[in-house]
Amino acid sequence: MKCEKCGINEATTHIRSITNGVIREYNLCSGCAMEKGYTSNHNSLTGMLSSLFGEFLTTSASVDTKKCPVCSATFNDIAKSGKAGCTECYSTFREELLPYLKRVHGSTKHIGHVPNNAPIMVVKQQDTVDSLRMELNRLVREEKYEEAAIIRDKIKKLEGKENE
Amino acid sequence: MSSWYMKPNSEADIVTSTRIRLARNIKGIPFPSGMTDEQKKELKEKIKAVITESNTPFSKKLKYIDMANVPEIEIKAMVERHTISPEFVINPQGKAIILSEDESISIMIGEEDHIRIQVILGGLCLEEAYDIASNIDDMLHSALHFAFDSNLGYLTECPTNLGTGLRASLMLHLPALEGSGEIRSLSDTVNKIGFTVRGIYGEGSKSLASLYQVSNQVTLGLSEKNAIENLKIIATQLIEKEKALRESFEKLKLEDTVYRALGTLKYSRVLSSNEMMNLISRIKLGISMGILSTDILPMKLFVENQPYMLMKKHGEISPQERDSYRASDIREAFN
Repeated sequence: MKCEKCGINEATTHIRSITNGVIREYNLCSGCAMEKGYTSNHNSLTGMLSSLFGEFLTTSASVDTKKCPVCSATFNDIAKSGKAGCTECYSTFREELLPYLKRVHGSTKHIGHVPNNAPIMVVKQQDTVDSLRMELNRLVREEKYEEAAIIRDKIKKLEGKENE
Repeated sequence: MSSWYMKPNSEADIVTSTRIRLARNIKGIPFPSGMTDEQKKELKEKIKAVITESNTPFSKKLKYIDMANVPEIEIKAMVERHTISPEFVINPQGKAIILSEDESISIMIGEEDHIRIQVILGGLCLEEAYDIASNIDDMLHSALHFAFDSNLGYLTECPTNLGTGLRASLMLHLPALEGSGEIRSLSDTVNKIGFTVRGIYGEGSKSLASLYQVSNQVTLGLSEKNAIENLKIIATQLIEKEKALRESFEKLKLEDTVYRALGTLKYSRVLSSNEMMNLISRIKLGISMGILSTDILPMKLFVENQPYMLMKKHGEISPQERDSYRASDIREAFN
């Protein structure tokens, strides 16, 4: 197979990118792949990541001056490498990162294990309609109807509040 | 508990092993790729102190090893037995590991994230492996206070691990799906629903001996429990497809393939690593299909005859010598 970009060399790098659920495949030679930022020692995921960041690189000149107070990374550093510099980067560049996280995971809200000393508020926030629905489905699947009824009432209550 | 590859074949038939990995980090310092040597040293000392000063019966079973003191052959042999990730080999200075005796628990310090807790067990046991990892997580958290954000969950270097920081993987032996070519379209489907199918050494690695690693991709907006349940559902479907396809094999042809593999393993004088892996894969299939009845643990042979595992046993030998030692060790095992 010839490279899609130059049409001269053999395509040796095969890239699959997922954007909003649409899968696109690129077959490139190593030179063109490198030019596009997919190097062989990059794992495919990192390649995909920095390509997802691609559009931010050109449009986000304003955030370039902002630096993380702990590791002094800029948003461009993160976008280029597809990796954060330290845990503080997630607070510093939260707004910039959110749309991108949404693309990668389809969500921007952690559901799952919460460490012992995390603020109690977090635990309460976990009871979202979505998470309760999942729990409900599971209980129904496992035929635990009594517990399911309790969850169902919780959902009703929460939905009632949202509609007020 | 024993190493994942020591599990008898009946229990570890199509699913050879279960792996759980949790990525955790500490506030206030850069991620390992941006850390100074001094910071790396401090991090290692800090975690070492947590393990050595914690006087629980559990922590007493764990051993702290500074990777700077481990010979290169042993480091690479650790990758071959899946005790550490291939990425962990690069620049061993500044890295350390906390291991249980059977290596089913390995806590990598200074990998991509500050801490990566790995639990690897033979066969299909996602819940059991997760519970072990989660207990270690809680134990370490009470001393180290991992970086956690109420919205984004556990914070990691790569945003793809954000949230639970969980990577749950199952290693599957899929010779029938591979032979029929179906594995490719199945991988694509699995990919679309937030899971990946990879080769045996993880990201970017090729598939060898019909072994495939299936793992979750999404870590944010999905609980650990759900991620594990979904992985189990996908694996179950792959296993059923594999089994159905195996039943459609022509018996005589299958027997011939298995016995030819056995013949080669029993009598050859030179065996390359690749040939060994492919032959063992057929032996494993033969045992599962009831063609061979043997006490041989295929995955044990598979792991122990990898290049660096052989060098660990026989000393620094050339690749040619390695192939001959491999053949002779395997002959011994089968005769």
